[in-house]
Amino acid sequence: MVTKNYFTRYRHIAPLAVLRIAFGAVLFISTIRFLAKGWVHDFYIVPRFHFPFYGFGWVHPMGATGMYTLYWVMALAALLICIGLFYRVAAPVFFLCFVYAELLDKTYYLNHYYFVTICSFLLILVPANRYCSIDILRKPSLKVTQTPAWTILLFKYQLCIVYCCAGLSKLTRDWLIDAMPLRIWLPARSSIPLIGPLLRYEWTAYFFSWAGGLFDLSIVFLLLARPTRRIGYVLVIVFHVLTAVLFQIGMFPWLMMSATIVFFSEDFHVGLIRKARALFVGGGAANKHESRDRSLPAESPVYFQPRHQKILFGLLGVYFLLQILLPFRFLLYPGNLLWTEEGYRFSWRVMLMEKGGTTFFYVKDPATGRKSEVNNSAWLTAYQERMMETQPDMMLQYAHILKKQYQQQGIASPEVTVQSFVTLNGSGSRLYIDSTVNLAEEQESWLGHKKWILSFTNKPNP
Amino acid sequence: MKRFKLLAAAAGILSTAIVLFSCSKSGSSPNPNPGGGTGSDTVLVNLGTNIIVPSYQVLASSTAALDVAVTGFNASPSGATLATVQSALKSAYKAWAACSEFEFGPAADASLTTHFTNSFPTDTLLIRSNAGGASYAIDGIGNYAAQGFPALDYLLFANGNDITLARFTTDSHAAGAKTYLAALSASLKAKAATVNTAWSASGGNYLAKFEKATGVDAGSALSLLANAYVQDFDVNLQNYKVGIPIGLYGPSVLPKAPTKVEGYYGALSVQLLVAQVLAIQNIYLGGSGGSLDDKVAASKAQYNGGSLNDAIKAQIATLLTKIQALPDPLSTGIQNNSSAITDAYTEVRKLTVLLKVDMPSALGIKISFQDDDGD
Repeated sequence: MVTKNYFTRYRHIAPLAVLRIAFGAVLFISTIRFLAKGWVHDFYIVPRFHFPFYGFGWVHPMGATGMYTLYWVMALAALLICIGLFYRVAAPVFFLCFVYAELLDKTYYLNHYYFVTICSFLLILVPANRYCSIDILRKPSLKVTQTPAWTILLFKYQLCIVYCCAGLSKLTRDWLIDAMPLRIWLPARSSIPLIGPLLRYEWTAYFFSWAGGLFDLSIVFLLLARPTRRIGYVLVIVFHVLTAVLFQIGMFPWLMMSATIVFFSEDFHVGLIRKARALFVGGGAANKHESRDRSLPAESPVYFQPRHQKILFGLLGVYFLLQILLPFRFLLYPGNLLWTEEGYRFSWRVMLMEKGGTTFFYVKDPATGRKSEVNNSAWLTAYQERMMETQPDMMLQYAHILKKQYQQQGIASPEVTVQSFVTLNGSGSRLYIDSTVNLAEEQESWLGHKKWILSFTNKPNP
Repeated sequence: MKRFKLLAAAAGILSTAIVLFSCSKSGSSPNPNPGGGTGSDTVLVNLGTNIIVPSYQVLASSTAALDVAVTGFNASPSGATLATVQSALKSAYKAWAACSEFEFGPAADASLTTHFTNSFPTDTLLIRSNAGGASYAIDGIGNYAAQGFPALDYLLFANGNDITLARFTTDSHAAGAKTYLAALSASLKAKAATVNTAWSASGGNYLAKFEKATGVDAGSALSLLANAYVQDFDVNLQNYKVGIPIGLYGPSVLPKAPTKVEGYYGALSVQLLVAQVLAIQNIYLGGSGGSLDDKVAASKAQYNGGSLNDAIKAQIATLLTKIQALPDPLSTGIQNNSSAITDAYTEVRKLTVLLKVDMPSALGIKISFQDDDGD
């Protein structure tokens, strides 16, 4: 008999089943919403060019039929995850479809899409379909009631990283001392009902900044400790519902509210499932199930081969190390993180910036010396253009798009420069990029610093 | 039961919080943000009632007057009726410069947009072909470059008054030219009337809808207005009216193109530029009522050590001075490499950055419907 440690000891599987149902439901709604808003068309079919992530330039969108099929497959997979049918196929299919779509264009990067990517990956690793699912009706031998603790802990650890990093990223002068960007965003919302009038006060922005930071830093501890768990989850609801009311952040609040359910005890989840069953199946059937459950626990654990489990632990160790290191990679770069955005993505930095910019791109033919300004909207969609205008790595990609296009127009080695003005958290617009640098000849690199980003402390537009 | 208790507790706390929030209205007075207040926004009311609706009223009446003048001219083409119709065109064209900032809602629905109303340089070949008997749909998609104010500018001014009169009298296609001229002014008149009615309280009352669409999200009145306003300045004024003619802006590397100025044939460029900058200023300041300036001031946004609002007001004033001092006609100035024009372009560029970057950022305006997590 293998000795059980903190990770391998058996726990009731109910929390995993509830997480699967709740998260799967939000994924399904989220995917249908994406389709309904016409974003497949707007994001992947309309644009002539895309901004793939570094190292993934080989990933290209499919045609309209392909992209719509992809999203419908994604929706179906999410539904199957939710109801637990063909889960072992549905979970990896959802993950692969979602990752593919995310890799196509960083214009659409959002922290909550990154969160979905990660959680759908973790869902592949766990037997979330072995309880309270269609799969076990289909094949009763699949049913188990016990699962190794790590299959549930994974999600708790992941959420700890999300909230703690989000909290740590708020410990800045902008957020705490200047109440930025909430001091801009909240008064702008003062026309919403009920709490609107309050948002005009400066102290409200300070209160929300400090309370929000405190929430992010403390919430996982409140959820982990049994005595504070309930109040913790109430805070989760209050916090995320407020952000949903105040900001245009889409599915993020609902994703977090569904994911944090996993923190509740197994008794809570068992009770939840029992009540849901009573509601849908009727009291008698529920009792029958329950009595069967009672006879099961000791004898129906899910079995993981110890050797496989060991390898998985090694890989998960690396995975979590990366998860912890990635948000801190910004320390490798000089300058203000919010300004340069070097090491900004994949770090759970949310609601930190009111940033706006505009770019005037120039193409010069060195053979004739003639120079003209580029009409960005001829190449990019309005949304791509706007996202590009505050993000240096996208400007570089755009410069390379222009280089290629102008080469096709017969300019052998076009010089691409940009005059870019950006304002960050009310700083006032100032020059962002060294306008003498030929971006067509600059290259992107792993973790390399872009020397042509001007310092945040430079003088405003003269 | 636990779950229901939990939900009840959550609902309880949430509603307590909301009640507490909404009750604590008394006490120290808030920032004097005229954009505030539940369910209404005095800035939207002022902009809609005192700026936008009157602008469309002027456009509707001046295009109607233009149409009357065209009818009079067509009935008896003479030096006098030509002068009348030319002057009517100038008034209507200037009225358009005070409406091109509002290309959303009714204007977009009725195609009373720059694309159909003010595409220049106008397609003179297409105009001549249409006047020469080719079949055309005046508001057809393919006819956008042969309609609107630039087409009227061409027909009523090109090559001087004698040739213009001949175009409508002795030319073999004089009848066709008259028909085309009438079709152009009728189309403008109809579109302006449609949009004017759509905004007015007694018509479609888009005004009420506009005033009620408070907030800063994509689709709010402020987002629609700011986006259209900035677009008009950035694209129409900066790029098309100045950038392309002076050869600094274009899809490929081009030399300067003085004939590509707005209102080229009637040498109207400078007065139209002045009219547009005055409109930009008027919208920003909102006359005697609240407007973008008050919202920017209330945001306390900074620019270069001072207030952003002061910086924008000063830059509009500086630009106005530079535009008023431009050589007239602009096309000749461009040919002579006038430094006043490049100076003015520099000031245009500065105002573009302030309006496009600083102003929306200070107001927290969202342009896109896409979800956003503030990064």
